[in-house]
Parts: sequence; structure tokens; C-alpha cells
Amino acid sequence: MAEYHLTSPLSEEDVRRLRIGDTVYLSGNAFTCRSRLQKYIFDEGNTLPFDTRERNLLIHNGPIVIKENDKWRLVSFMPTSSIRFEKWGAKSVREWGLRMIVGKTTMGEETAAAMKELGCVHASPRSVSPNLWIDSIEVEDVYLFDELGSIEAAWFFKINELGPFVVDIDSEGNNYFDRLDEQIDEHKRAALEKLGIGEDFKFTKLY
Amino acid sequence: MIKTEIYENALFETIKRGATEISPDVRGAFVDAIERETNPDARAGLAATLESMDMSSVRKNPLCVDTGWPIFYFKVGNRCELEGGFVELENAARRAVAKATRLGYLRATMKHPLTGYDPGNNIGMNIPDFTYKFVDGDSIEMSYAAKGGGSECFGGTRHRIVAFADGIKGIEKFVIDSFVASARAGAVCPPSVLGIGIGGTANVAANLAKKAACLRTVGSKHPDPMFAKIEEDLYEALNSLGIGILGAGGNTSVLAVNVEYAYTHIAGIACATSTNCMVARRASTRINSDGSVEKMQSPMWFGDR
Repeated sequence: MAEYHLTSPLSEEDVRRLRIGDTVYLSGNAFTCRSRLQKYIFDEGNTLPFDTRERNLLIHNGPIVIKENDKWRLVSFMPTSSIRFEKWGAKSVREWGLRMIVGKTTMGEETAAAMKELGCVHASPRSVSPNLWIDSIEVEDVYLFDELGSIEAAWFFKINELGPFVVDIDSEGNNYFDRLDEQIDEHKRAALEKLGIGEDFKFTKLY
Repeated sequence: MIKTEIYENALFETIKRGATEISPDVRGAFVDAIERETNPDARAGLAATLESMDMSSVRKNPLCVDTGWPIFYFKVGNRCELEGGFVELENAARRAVAKATRLGYLRATMKHPLTGYDPGNNIGMNIPDFTYKFVDGDSIEMSYAAKGGGSECFGGTRHRIVAFADGIKGIEKFVIDSFVASARAGAVCPPSVLGIGIGGTANVAANLAKKAACLRTVGSKHPDPMFAKIEEDLYEALNSLGIGILGAGGNTSVLAVNVEYAYTHIAGIACATSTNCMVARRASTRINSDGSVEKMQSPMWFGDR
């Protein structure tokens, strides 16, 4: 499991070499979104008001940003759960030309298939450490603030060695958490056994 | 009579402290977990989280970007008198939440459930939520809990009626199955403070579970050995699963397992889980009848159950 320091915009080559379990630190430019933005674009037929080809790193996140002396100040940042955006995941990868999505948890099979086809990965945080991250992030700009509100808007970030994140979906379609699930299931069987709950245990059906 | 200005200021300070300062018991559990954790990446993740949380107390910024559902628990002395009464206490709590949001201690997270309308101040229908408990005395203890979206939304809150035929084994199987499903890929932000409610109607069990997750001091044990044994057995079982911080592997999956119970119907045992995230944000304050205000280290909700 290797460690990579990458700069966005990311190339296909940058992400094709990443494997699940690798650690990444990220620099360059990025943008944020949550579900309201994806719904606004993909379900409600609006057009994204910026170009993502030179900004192909998406961070699922609803930051706290306040305005001080006419400048944006990032108060807190933590990647949010990607799994709930699965509905629009493959579309986002395809239509926005993404190379990496950073978010808590992971994404589903459809997004993983699009990532494999087009060359994109998903990476997940290993801590809840907003204060170690906000110093690595500069707020550059914001789009759709009036339409979607502060949390759901698309924030443009300039980032510097933001991380560490673990690659949990690679461009071969592997999922780090699926692998881990197999081990967890084994441990679960042992833990239940220890409590006297065998594999033959069935809940009494009440309805 | 306790003046409005006093309890309103105290409410604001309690929210601010809950949002920006880690509770001493949760901090202690982190320190212990870092010592025990054998997976180096998980250990680094726990240490980074603790470092960030410690920085929040100094920077006075939120411990996590998701500042959660605003929930208040009031433990009220039977003879406690408040200027404006309890309606004004709730109004003051709403004003304090709005102020904390305006100043960036809380994120404007609460939205209309159908339209998605964001009032921008975390105030809306039935939010904040208020729970009361009446005890002897003339003081009021106010606890604020910020219940995060990750731990609440991704399967951390569940319920099942377990048959008496299945008993403790049924309860434990339900809890372990639920936790594994909800902690996958770190959805509920483990290591968790897992609250479990046993008995009562389904909503009673769910409320007990929520209080067990949000108000019990981490490291405390249920005074009844039967329930303490369930807590201990589940704590050990869940920490043997290898889920780890944010579900990425490791041997710290829960910081605590807290069980509370109610008598139940002969027909079945309502069981509920409520999972609190690793940050487990809360703060408590006592106001005495003379208007003096004391910070509390822990909610002390369960002293007499």
C-alpha cells in the first residue's frame, strides 16, 4: 500500500495507478457539492455554471464558511458520506469528467463501474480532524450560493497537501470496504459464538 | 426566580461549549483508545481526531462540520421557578441556537423535510427538540446534545421487538447485526457511543437509547449487574469486529455501550439502538435558584435513573 502526493487537475495516469488501501494527499484545485446540487443539475435540468475539466477533484462536503471583512473564512470542513449520492454518482463522473471523489464512506456499484470505465477513484478520510485540514484549504470562490444556500453551494477550494485519505474504490472497480466486510463477518461469527449465539440462531417471528 | 437573561446566556454558553469542546469523559476514552489501538493507521486517525478536537477548544470552532440536530434535555427541580416560565425557556433556547448559528458555532443544518427550505438558523417545526425530567429541588440542569447526521441517518438508530423466547441472546444479536450494518465504511462515524434501550413501547425504547447514547458518562456502568453485563459483553464483542475508526479497520469500534431499560409488555421486548458519533458532543450547565451558574462535567441525567 503506497502513499501518493497528487495535484489537481488530476490526469488519468495519476489515478489509474492508485489501488485500494493506498494513501493520498491532495493539492491543487477542488470543488464541493452535496445532493441538492446534483439534484439541481441532473434532476431539475439546470446547467453547472463552471467548467470541471480543469477542476476534476470533487469533495462531497457542506463546509461552514462565514464572510469576514468581505472575505470568505472556512470555519470547518469534513468530507460527508458519499454513499447517499450514489443516485447521481455515475452521472457526475461521466458528465463532469471527474478523476477523484473524496467523501466519507464509499460509493456503490454503478459509480464504481463508471470509475473503472472512465478512470476515476474514490478516497475516504481516516479521521474527523477539521482543524488539521482547514489550514490546508483556501476558499477561492463560490457558485450557486443564492440558489442552494451556503452548505449546498459549490465552493472552489485551493488545497495544499490535504489528507491523508485512503483510496477505497480504485479504477479497477475494487472496493476497500467490501474486502474489509469479509473479515468483519468472520469476526462477527466468532463474537456471536462467544456470546452463545450460534449460526443456527433464528429470531422468533412476531409478525 | 431565575431571570431570563441568566438562563438565556447559560443556554448559549452550553451550546457553544457542546459544539466546540470535547467532554472530559469522551476525551479520556480517546486517550485510552489510542493507547490500546494496534492498527497503525487507525491509531494515527484517532490521534489526529483528538488533536483536532483539542484545537477546537482553543480556536472555538465546531468539533465537526456537521453540528447535528439541536437537542435539549432539562432536568428540572420540582420547585424551580423561571422568569417567563417554561415557554420562555424554550423561546430562549431557540434564540440561543439561532445566535450560535449566526456566529458559526453551529452550521445551518436543519431543513424543511419536504421542500428542503433552509431557514438558516436551525429553527423550525419541532426543532430544537426538548425533553424534561422532574426531580426534587429548585435548580435546573440543562444539557445540550448535538446529534450528528452520520450517526443518526445511516442505520445507527434502529428498533426491533424481540420475543421473550429469544431473550438476551435475541437482544444481543439484534444489536450486533445493527451495528455491523450501520458502521460499514464508517457510515455512523465510529468509534461510537452506542445507546441501547430495552423495554417499554418502541418509542420509549428509542428514547432510552437516545439518552443512553447522548447523556450517559462514557465509562459509567449500569448499576444493575444484569444490564452492566450486557454492556460489558457487547463492548467486548463490538470491539473485536475489526471495524475501527471510520470503518477503515482497527480494534476501536465503540467507545462505550450504554444500556437503559423500562418494564415491558408480556408480549415482547422492544429494543432500540441509538448510535452517537465518536465526537459525542454535549455540554451541561446547572442554574441554582439564586441565579448562580455552574458548568457541569457530565449531564448527571441518570443518577436516580
